[in-house]
Amino acid sequence: MAHVQQVFTASTAIPVSAGIGLRSQHYRDVLESHPNVGWFEVHSENYFGKGGAPLHFLEKIREDYPISLHGVGMSLGSADALDVQHLDNLKGLITRIEPGLVSEHLSWNSFGGDYLNDLAPLPYTEEALLHLVDRIAQVQDYLGRQVLVENPSSYLEYEHSTYKEQDFLNELSRRTGCGILLDVNNVYVSCHNHSWDALEYLQGIAADRVGEIHLAGHTVNRVSGKDILIDTHNQPVCPEVWALYQTALQLIDTKPTLIEWDTDVPALSILADEAKQADSYLGASYELAA
Amino acid sequence: MNSLLETQRRFTNYVLRDLGQVSAVEGIKGNGLDAKQRLAIYRNNSQLGLTEALRDGYPVVNKLVDTDFFNHLARNFIQRYPPKAGCLLSFGANFADFIADFQPAAGLPYLPDTARLEWFWHEAFHEADAAALDIARLALIDPISYGNLGFSLHPSARFLVSGFPVLKIWQTNQEGYEGYGRINLDEGGCQLLIYRPELEVIIAPLNEAEHLFLNLLDMKLTLTQAVEQVITKDSIFDVQQSLQRWITNGLFIDFFINN
Repeated sequence: MAHVQQVFTASTAIPVSAGIGLRSQHYRDVLESHPNVGWFEVHSENYFGKGGAPLHFLEKIREDYPISLHGVGMSLGSADALDVQHLDNLKGLITRIEPGLVSEHLSWNSFGGDYLNDLAPLPYTEEALLHLVDRIAQVQDYLGRQVLVENPSSYLEYEHSTYKEQDFLNELSRRTGCGILLDVNNVYVSCHNHSWDALEYLQGIAADRVGEIHLAGHTVNRVSGKDILIDTHNQPVCPEVWALYQTALQLIDTKPTLIEWDTDVPALSILADEAKQADSYLGASYELAA
Repeated sequence: MNSLLETQRRFTNYVLRDLGQVSAVEGIKGNGLDAKQRLAIYRNNSQLGLTEALRDGYPVVNKLVDTDFFNHLARNFIQRYPPKAGCLLSFGANFADFIADFQPAAGLPYLPDTARLEWFWHEAFHEADAAALDIARLALIDPISYGNLGFSLHPSARFLVSGFPVLKIWQTNQEGYEGYGRINLDEGGCQLLIYRPELEVIIAPLNEAEHLFLNLLDMKLTLTQAVEQVITKDSIFDVQQSLQRWITNGLFIDFFINN
């Protein structure tokens, strides 16, 4: 059966307000309670199926809210060739859902056709930069639109890196025209894990390239007497990350901000409360600027 | 060599297959930890994430063998058959065959077919949508052509034949099941149709004749051709009743007349 293109009444553009990561547990609740949040974001790959409930509910929710598509499986940084089937699926989903934003990660997750299902860290070298520039250009050409690229959480860094992560991202954005998805929790996690300075990181990010901000919870793991932070998305945003978020808003300006919580997913109302808190900082930041 | 390609090759070999730890840590900063410990975080994340993805697709298998055994099964499966795409919808497709060959699971002979049922359910869940055949269209057909009628089945339709009562096993292991929990494996096998006419996946038990009938229709045989074979199994097979049942239940999405 050919898919009939739907006309969505909700706008396409993602507003400068807080959004929530949409998870299948909440489909019915969202449609029934119509929570007061600005937009939803989904993991693109969860909607790569041909039909059924996931696409049905996403289209229903899209009627009422703008949607952002966030990918976790494109493997932008892999030495492997780009997976054309994956790009094709994403392009089909974009046509169907008309998202306001499309994003991916500054990472890689496949080698020799085997996939890790995790966002692996890149060495920030000239070689990697050129490779990523080429890949992002290919992706944007294929999709016919800009993508945002997110700074990852990482647990290791390479000795042969010659760029700081924020400089690497800025350079990618400058050379390809891609936007930056600034994940403030990832900044916090990676800075802690590598003894980087979070303030310096945020100050170094090209503010005018940032199109979206992510907030999430993380877990503290004790490894050989040292705390390593793991990006688990399984709890509320911690006070330190909220504080860093407020600093980011001052340095970068107000941006659409997502609450990501996808493991041990709580009730929708708890996510809405987190979004409300983000909205209050966005509002306060507006007032400061006014 | 610290090229991107080499770095990724070593990283992947270690994370997915536990191979080459020494070369994999080359070039990784320790920064207060052993570089191996940092790399191990990625191995754990990857293994955990993929194991949970399998568990999500095979909740009944997980329940039947308990969490620890499932983790062991998953670990072996992932080493042998890591995902081949960044989208995990097809990951775990051959889990049933893997279980069938996995010696430690040999004591649970019904496990592979249970896994097959769960995978068909998963496939049907994500298959393309298709509207049921409009009965009004059938009413326009000249009765003289009925024997030459054939049908297209819903794209989500899958058939499973098992020597074990896997539907019962599946049902008693669903969340919230409150019936009698013991299953007699000697009660024999079943033929199942798995399909999704709308949003919900349906698992329908079929008798042998009806299973054959629907399979023959799925192979694009006409009613006459199909019935010829079915009556050798069941001489009183009621074609009309079966057709009515499956037209009403949205199994057919189109028809053709093969004159």
